Amino acid sequence: MIHAPGFGLALTLLAYLGAGELHRRLGRPALLAPVLVAMIVVSVVLELLGISYEEYLASVSVLTLLLGPATVALALPLLRSGRALLADRLAVLVTLLVTGAVSVGVTVGALTALGSSDSVVLTTLPRSVTTPVALTVGETIGANTTLAVVLTLVSGVLGATVAPWLLDRVRVGDPRARGFAIGMVSHGIGTSRALAESDVAGGWSSAAMVLNALAMTVVLPVVAQAFH
Amino acid sequence: MKPPRGWPEHVPAVLAALALLLGLQLLGTLVVDLAHLPVPGAVVGLFVLLVVGARFRGFAARVEPAANPLLKHLQLLFIPPGVGALTQLSTIAQSAAPLAVAVVGSFALGLVVAGVVLQKLLRRKVVS
Repeated sequence: MIHAPGFGLALTLLAYLGAGELHRRLGRPALLAPVLVAMIVVSVVLELLGISYEEYLASVSVLTLLLGPATVALALPLLRSGRALLADRLAVLVTLLVTGAVSVGVTVGALTALGSSDSVVLTTLPRSVTTPVALTVGETIGANTTLAVVLTLVSGVLGATVAPWLLDRVRVGDPRARGFAIGMVSHGIGTSRALAESDVAGGWSSAAMVLNALAMTVVLPVVAQAFH
Repeated sequence: MKPPRGWPEHVPAVLAALALLLGLQLLGTLVVDLAHLPVPGAVVGLFVLLVVGARFRGFAARVEPAANPLLKHLQLLFIPPGVGALTQLSTIAQSAAPLAVAVVGSFALGLVVAGVVLQKLLRRKVVS
């Protein structure tokens, strides 16, 4: 049974649904994000049953396939908050550019200063981008995509846990600015946290996530040239 | 205002919407291949949906039956690559310290800069 083609997919769906239910019952603690719990459960089960990652990956290929249409679907949150964004387009654009520069600058600066190899720098670059886009961008620039995904998830969980606290410390109270900031640095996982604050914060967060993904898709291949 | 029209009742909306999303992705891939763009086809598809959807509300409504559940459970799609990443923990451990500095540093600075800059700019507009 464990080598049936549907086993990996069934395991993944069950782990995701179970982790979601657990998360709901414990009062939605940010650290126990369902995606993290499910990932660990699936890894442990594969290890215990001696199923290789390649075999598992073949079984869940339908999920990998859905990343494409899911990326296209990211246009919808942007369309929904389109009018508010257009009204403040200059503020949004400046924030997007400044934050993008700071984010890429700190990543490259810190890793170069600490003597990391070029491949580590390439892998860390797509970190702030929503995962489906991070995966494709990572492939384009020659990053280690599986490691890039972990760093993306870490950013997301950081956003869901400490971002509201950090924004309080620097007195950012405007729900639009709070949402946008969270979406810029921690994409979908942060967006779900911003949605819990308010609809306005959630809308601006998903818009920031999509705009950042678009900007980074264009910028990162250029930055990556320097490390090849 | 009338709600934008979706699919006719006899069409299975989720399947039709999924086909439309895949079609947009493939169209994007075609454009990328022909123009040799350094971006993923799906991102071009996103852009096409954005432009067409802004002009025709009904088009966005026809994508929603598949797009909404996909966006709501986007995280499910990250489990397979995440599992792959757990198998690479040794690579992370090797360069753990620099990675932590880079990720936490760019996260915290990016967050604060984005929040402070946007709030300042939005406020200035209200005053003037």
